[in-house]
Amino acid sequence: MSNNPSTPEGGPHPPPLPVASTPPSETTLQAFADMSAALTGFQSSFIRPFLDPVNLSGTFYTFAVSQVGQSRMDELMNAFDALTKQTPKPTPQQIADTLLEVSSSTPSPQAQLCQSIIAMWYLGSWYTPGVLGGNGFAPPALQVISQQAYTKSLVWNLAQAHPMGFSAFTFGYWSEQPASLQTFGVDTTNGGGQ
Amino acid sequence: MSNAQYDVVIIGAGVSGNLIAKQLGLAGKKVLILEAGLAVPDSREQYMENFYLALAKTPESPYPALAGRKGSEKEPVGKLPDPTKLPTPRATVLTIGKGPDKSYLIQAQPWIETHDPKLPPQNPPADDKGNIMGLQFSSTFERNGGGTSWHWLGTSLRELENDIQLETKYGHGVDWPITYSELQTLWALAEKEIGVAASTEEQQPLEVVGLVYPPGYEYPMQSIPKSLVDDAVSNGIQGLQVPGTLPDTPGGSDPTMYDVFVTPTPQGRNSEPYDDRRVCAGNTNCIPICPIQAKWDPTVTLGKALDTGNVKVSYQSVAYNVVVDGTNATRVDYYVWSRDEKDNLTKVSKSVTGKIYVLACHAIENAKLLLMSNNWNGIANKSDQVGRNLMDHPLYLSWALAPEPIFGYRGPLATAGIESLRDGEFRKYRSSFRMEIGNEGWNFSKGDPYTTALDYIQGTNNTGTNDGGPGGAPQRLGGLQLAQALNNIFTRQFRIGCMFDQSPMADNRVTLDVDRATGKPNNVDGLGLPRPKVVYGLDPYTMEGFRMAAYVCSQVYQKMGAKEFTTTGMGSAGDFTYRGVNYHYYGAGHVVGTHRMGTNPLKSVVDASQRSHDVPNMWIVGSGSFPTVCTANPTLTLMALAFKSADSIIAALNSK
Repeated sequence: MSNNPSTPEGGPHPPPLPVASTPPSETTLQAFADMSAALTGFQSSFIRPFLDPVNLSGTFYTFAVSQVGQSRMDELMNAFDALTKQTPKPTPQQIADTLLEVSSSTPSPQAQLCQSIIAMWYLGSWYTPGVLGGNGFAPPALQVISQQAYTKSLVWNLAQAHPMGFSAFTFGYWSEQPASLQTFGVDTTNGGGQ
Repeated sequence: MSNAQYDVVIIGAGVSGNLIAKQLGLAGKKVLILEAGLAVPDSREQYMENFYLALAKTPESPYPALAGRKGSEKEPVGKLPDPTKLPTPRATVLTIGKGPDKSYLIQAQPWIETHDPKLPPQNPPADDKGNIMGLQFSSTFERNGGGTSWHWLGTSLRELENDIQLETKYGHGVDWPITYSELQTLWALAEKEIGVAASTEEQQPLEVVGLVYPPGYEYPMQSIPKSLVDDAVSNGIQGLQVPGTLPDTPGGSDPTMYDVFVTPTPQGRNSEPYDDRRVCAGNTNCIPICPIQAKWDPTVTLGKALDTGNVKVSYQSVAYNVVVDGTNATRVDYYVWSRDEKDNLTKVSKSVTGKIYVLACHAIENAKLLLMSNNWNGIANKSDQVGRNLMDHPLYLSWALAPEPIFGYRGPLATAGIESLRDGEFRKYRSSFRMEIGNEGWNFSKGDPYTTALDYIQGTNNTGTNDGGPGGAPQRLGGLQLAQALNNIFTRQFRIGCMFDQSPMADNRVTLDVDRATGKPNNVDGLGLPRPKVVYGLDPYTMEGFRMAAYVCSQVYQKMGAKEFTTTGMGSAGDFTYRGVNYHYYGAGHVVGTHRMGTNPLKSVVDASQRSHDVPNMWIVGSGSFPTVCTANPTLTLMALAFKSADSIIAALNSK
């Protein structure tokens, strides 16, 4: 059995930008994680667990900055910060819809960056903002960001499953119903993304 | 050859080579295996890392020498390696339809690069016999220690009695030169070696297609549980029947109504600890790589071969010439390749002698080696059948959304199938097929979960599911709405793959890419050896099977209340048109027929023990010996044949 031959072998991507030498602050990382939770619909505890030795938030923040530059990331974070300070406080879904400009037919570069951030969490790979798929297939990714970005990618949770090739389940689980979506990190009762 | 260095020299450390080496080692025979590729690694961790980091998680993605993936200047992400610079280039999914600068196999028109994907498919036209020639051969293979079956699925079905007597029974194709009862004995040996999980009781309904076991036979271990996907299909198609042929089938009709039902698939993965290997944990990754070796692969048998103390392996050793002096083979010439500290490829030419030689390096590589030998004039080829009758298990793929969650992406990649349509009078008129139910959602079909996720993130509709916006426009979602939309799609996805008993065709052929006028190769590998040139096509008998398969899949989906999303004519290599309808042929990785077995030395290359008709101390083994591809996946049967070969080799050695 072969996978589809049309799987892209890579595509046009801009060169990476220089990365700031100082790592992001704790405050920045928490804000990035909170924004990521709102964008992805996953609970913060899945995005940035209390004990987080893997620190995908840090990996993804740094990787995104290397791709789009610090100033674009700062602008996005400021926009998120402003939204969270509105009264009444918007729901996570409203924050996601606003940042992604879902009612617009032409999302801005900032909204496209938000799409790429969702894709990092879901798929563990970097998709250049604004590069769309076509002819029946997904756009080419720049790269899988790291092994753990793949083995902890969240899209599989939405199948109530596990990353292909990385399962903590045991023999025969596939013949039984999976745990609820909530168990997989999506709280469907309170608007998600908390 | 009393002064030979080894009793037996085996070329290729895959399923057949390793099994024969083990049997010979157990019998006290001295064996050398020449393996073209890299050694089997001590641990599969590096292969797992390759897989995790691969952009396109194709069957070959864990294994060495694929596209760059880390984005260094020397190895940019996605750049496919140039086969002229590799010691053991191989056919890969990412190079199907590419030109000789990327594709190891030299094919008819490099399709993708000459066709604008925005235009409708321009399929190869049919010739005057209705054959579609010039399709891109789409099966791939490995050249490393352990071989292609590192990424076999594990499906271990037996062939049917009528599979091996197609000509006698239905007047099509050719018969196998071996009896069903002998195969039954050999299959039992292979099932024990692999550790096949199945139950004859569960297989009993398949008596309707002639699947019978010797009385009292039982598999080595209990069967693998069916998935929720299997149950949904099984329950959803209760009572479904289909006719043997569709209206207007050329040549005749079979109006018999056949029952369509699901049975568990015998599988080479552990349902209980076996051979010091763990039970399957359902990583849903049998292809490209089982992370825990719960699935048997040829390295298991290689380990047992080495444990006999009589078997040695020489890695990075590419055989390029089998010397035949008179009628017997007398020597194998091979290159030992390495890379120096600057990563430059170097080679040293060596030779080795054995009393007996076994070619076990894959259907295409066996043919290539036979044709390369004797200064590229070929050996063991009085029949002119070497390289001919190249077959795949051409695969038709369909996919759908179930009406309720059925939870794919869980368990082994396939645990059940529809085997009830594999035999019937219709085989006079069209190819037969089996139907494999996939447990991996639309991963094979659409590259999911990636394609669907990006559809809903970016507001595109590459999967056909994202049409919930105003006027059927794609939705662009985020947050909980995105998560729930994807959950709704992913938990309902499933697919069915149908594999056909393709007709053997003499013009479907592997040759050397050599300019006969000048005697020089056109395209070479990194060792300067000519690369294989492949011509491949389908005949109307086979394509009529595609038409029937598309019909049966649609019937299955309708009966289940599932919504079908199958697309064909996707503008890529493998598209063809039959009777005005577009289809897409996928390679199954089941490469068959290039050194067919038979009783007549004028019409076949090897006999039933896979011994060369022309060179009596040479065996040519593997699925290349299959006269027809049949309806079961080939690995179990090719291992069964290797047991027979091993016995005949031992007998030949003992009689000298």
